[in-house]
Amino acid sequence: MVNELREKAKKLLADKDVELVIGWERGSRALAATPVFIDSPEEADRLIFDSTCGNNPAVYFTKDARRLVKDGKRIGVVVKGCDARSLALYLAEKQVKRENIVIIGVPCRGVIDPDKVATRTGGREVLEYSEDDGKVTVKGRDLDLTFDARDVLSSSCLACVHRNAKEYDLFIGEMRDGTADKDQNAAIDEFEKLEPEERWERMKEMYSKCIRCYACRNVCPSCYCNECFVDQNDPQWIGKTHEITDTLIFHIIRNLHVAGRCVECGACERACPMGLNLLLLNRKVAREVEERFGYITGIDSGEKPAMADFREGEKQDFIMG
Amino acid sequence: MVRLEKDRFDDFIRSLLADYAVYAAVTADGKSGFKVIKAAQEIDRRRLVTDRSPKEVFFPHSEVIFEYDKDGVREIEKAGKPIAIWGLRGCDVKSLSMLDKVFGSARQMPDDEMFQDPYWKKKYDTSLLFCIACNEPRSTCFCNWLGGDPHSGEGSDVFVIDAGDAFLMQPGSEKGKAFIEKTADLKPASGAEERQAAELAAGARAMMDRPVALDDLNERLKELFHTDIWEDMSGKCVNCGACAFVCSTCHCFDMQDEGKGGKGKRIRIWDSCMFPIFTKEASGHNPRHLSKDRFRQRVMHKYSYFADNYGESLCTGCGRCVVACPVGIDIREVIKHVLSYESKGAR
Repeated sequence: MVNELREKAKKLLADKDVELVIGWERGSRALAATPVFIDSPEEADRLIFDSTCGNNPAVYFTKDARRLVKDGKRIGVVVKGCDARSLALYLAEKQVKRENIVIIGVPCRGVIDPDKVATRTGGREVLEYSEDDGKVTVKGRDLDLTFDARDVLSSSCLACVHRNAKEYDLFIGEMRDGTADKDQNAAIDEFEKLEPEERWERMKEMYSKCIRCYACRNVCPSCYCNECFVDQNDPQWIGKTHEITDTLIFHIIRNLHVAGRCVECGACERACPMGLNLLLLNRKVAREVEERFGYITGIDSGEKPAMADFREGEKQDFIMG
Repeated sequence: MVRLEKDRFDDFIRSLLADYAVYAAVTADGKSGFKVIKAAQEIDRRRLVTDRSPKEVFFPHSEVIFEYDKDGVREIEKAGKPIAIWGLRGCDVKSLSMLDKVFGSARQMPDDEMFQDPYWKKKYDTSLLFCIACNEPRSTCFCNWLGGDPHSGEGSDVFVIDAGDAFLMQPGSEKGKAFIEKTADLKPASGAEERQAAELAAGARAMMDRPVALDDLNERLKELFHTDIWEDMSGKCVNCGACAFVCSTCHCFDMQDEGKGGKGKRIRIWDSCMFPIFTKEASGHNPRHLSKDRFRQRVMHKYSYFADNYGESLCTGCGRCVVACPVGIDIREVIKHVLSYESKGAR
């Protein structure tokens, strides 16, 4: 599969069909591949794809005031199902032009959550990673463990039913179906059932660990405001301390800003250096949007996002609480 | 060198608690940092480099500097026991001594006395630092590139080696010596234990990759300031502050006044050159408005500007940023790239 990916990328670059291919290459950490920008056929052999490719490469289309797409360059991008959903969102929100992107789908089996692996290894450092047919093997000093990939997959992936890009130009390898893990939805059910006070306590406990580094926001393709509200100081909307009130305002507003726009890729949660379970609220809101508006983000690039659209007969009970 | 039986460790911490507010590595929900402890059982003794750096013990994320109201300004009195930190690593101790050059020390520049930071100094100057040797450095450790060593206790008050059944301790300062002399449970270490310590040190050094020589780094960085290298290297950086906030030496801060009516407080809060607002001017102009400009600033500050001012790089090779970077940027690769870069010409 990886060979085919490299060959296709080489051809796209050699034929000048694209100027750049964004994908992943092996980085210095065994459990996390790193994004790579390939601009010549000779470099294409650096591309890889496996369950360590956790970043959502769509973010690079809007990063840094959209520098990458400003000059109308045609760009190939290797995508998992969730990454493709981000591209569909960008198309719907007119952030990229369809003719300027070549979507290269790859078959995703879910991505590894390094924190879950650390729990399994008891904190021993993983120096080598390999995967084979649903099994994951990690090796290090005095460490050689094999377990089911499902045990260490990111929670976003366990809940995912959109593993393959729906809209693509090329698909490499064989498509795989995703089946949502019931337990993952149980976490939201449980959260919903909590009394408001308990829910508040749960949120305070979790978000109090935030150090305000904004890694969650910055790896998120859906967070692309030219200037984030936390970066404004005239007026200043929000305090900058790590007091829970300030931290919660950041997270809740971010959460609502991506309502109906979050593709549940889990990049935020994997990026968080403090291990916050950021997906819980995002997935709760995504469920809410689906139930109320029948809208799932990034499935159809021709459909207006739920929050940008109004249809007669829409449920409006939430307005009154 | 003296020894402490590990089964006496609980008592040891208890006696330390009598005189000090004791901080040590604590892990909660899989992430570790230096926290105040009440008993030895809370300490994560297996943790090598903590996720959060120890800088926050002396330089917290958000610190109220003073309060004000109509009647004037009141400093916040932070009475309490002096601070002891158990389980710092060599890189951690070094990072604190670097921060002390900025916040606390009058050694470096002629007018430095003017710039001593009382909030840092009060805590740091009275602290007792225990540095524990790294017997098994991690793959992300590169202290040996920056003059560090897995078995160095330089700058600490007491250097500790984990020798299996016992902790071996060597005082590194007058304060450390006085502490060891008054602590009853410590017996002289045997010759065999001293030999074991030397073997552990050799073993730890052998586990590390060969260091890259950084002698030319500062000069190279200055030469490359106006080249394309920054665009090349920062392409995948998303400009979050994860690297700076887990970094044990990044120390930029913002001052915020939070007030309502006639009263309020001034708070010092961690900031990062990775954020666009860090350099945004009142006019709206931002001299570092692109990702590459901010990426360059962080690298230049660490390995060039700080080196110019204080004679060493503002990096200890702890590897925290390598672990925390959400897009897998490895500062070692950045350094190597700078050293081997063939300039395509200035722009």
